[in-house]
Amino acid sequence: MTINRELFFKEAQEKIKEELNTTDQKIILYSLISEKLPKNINELFEQIRIITDLKYPTLDQYLTIEEYCNFLLDNSLEKLNTDKKKEIEKIISGEISITFDQNEQKLVDNFSKNILDLIVLKNDLDQEISNLLKENYPNFYLIATPKIASKMLQISGSIKRLAKMPASTIQLLGSEKSFFKALKLSKNTPKYGVLYNHEILFDLNKKNKAKMARMIANKISIAVKSDLNKNNVSADLYEKIIRKKEELLNLQKK
Amino acid sequence: MILKNLILDSGNYYTTDLNTKKKRFWDPNRSKICAGLKKGINMLPITTDSKVLYLGSAEGYTISYISDLADNGVVIGVDISPISTQKFYLLCKERNNLLPILASANEPDSYKHLIDFKVDLIIQDVAQKNQVEILKKNADVYLKEGGFVILSLKTTAISQGKTENIINKEVEKFGKDFNIVEKKRLDPFEKKHILIIGKKK
Repeated sequence: MTINRELFFKEAQEKIKEELNTTDQKIILYSLISEKLPKNINELFEQIRIITDLKYPTLDQYLTIEEYCNFLLDNSLEKLNTDKKKEIEKIISGEISITFDQNEQKLVDNFSKNILDLIVLKNDLDQEISNLLKENYPNFYLIATPKIASKMLQISGSIKRLAKMPASTIQLLGSEKSFFKALKLSKNTPKYGVLYNHEILFDLNKKNKAKMARMIANKISIAVKSDLNKNNVSADLYEKIIRKKEELLNLQKK
Repeated sequence: MILKNLILDSGNYYTTDLNTKKKRFWDPNRSKICAGLKKGINMLPITTDSKVLYLGSAEGYTISYISDLADNGVVIGVDISPISTQKFYLLCKERNNLLPILASANEPDSYKHLIDFKVDLIIQDVAQKNQVEILKKNADVYLKEGGFVILSLKTTAISQGKTENIINKEVEKFGKDFNIVEKKRLDPFEKKHILIIGKKK
């Protein structure tokens, strides 16, 4: 019996590095962070409004979070491109509000810089995710869109496991809870999971959404498998999806 | 049951630490083997120089106590997750009888080039649907004649049916390859779990 301790450690080291350095793992981790950031940003925005509502009451109705924070920093309306400048000017004029002294202004500036940094971080992460997907899985990227593709990778664990799944499982990814509940009570099963947020499904009615979800799931299944074989089939598949959608929309009008 | 490094003190179990030689508390809520001891298992088939293969080592809580008990032997931990093996790797560097393997316990041949000897004991703590099968596969390759196995069976990993039915079915499967020495439900500490100790036929 001989035990070579060095060999064990060397092999474990190599395998850890190899498995943690895959693109799947990176996409999964980045999308986990990017999913939770909007919640944090919204919470911080509510907190900054506790202070700034004293100076600019109801301003948040007219501006997005990013515009609001930028406005707090430079106090100018020139950069904004909204059609409600008249209302905003009324609020800023200060008829019914207080003014900040120097210390308060400093606080607000720092706070809004932090929020803007978080927004930049979120955009960078999203960009990184879609770059990784586009380079490594071009078919999957085009048909599933980056948001849904990263979510599917998160649930299945890796692209290889996703490729082994049947299309009907891909259609229901993300709806496991309601699916097994429906099976248990023998009621209607769900028709879509994370695919519900796909941009092609937006303007279809309920019945056609289910049909379209099945179609997209089929095509995703083909796309993932051809990504592993390094074939490019996405343009063909995408055309079929668009044609099917037009068909369904025509039926809907009648 | 005579184990040099296992200490029973006012109902709780302790081990003597390998490096510092101090008393170390063994938490039955975190470790299924300690839960089994607390429920009154009569024998734990470990001696000071036994060679142990531990499947499902995770971050290395239970396996560190096993390495305390077998302080002159060898303890090898197998796990599939790279992130928990990172933590386990550091633990192995501190203890000179502990070794890490990053592989799937479902494929015992994938680490055959590392272990060229037979072990005395296999501990199976991987909560999978084919738990008994995994144990059998590994026992065929690595366990010596008359060696022992410890299986901690998680019934909810197998199916959502009645616990007694699943246990009966799995124990029957287990009995084909091993003689059952002892079995205990781990009820207040781990719900719907059973610890089975067997001997190779």
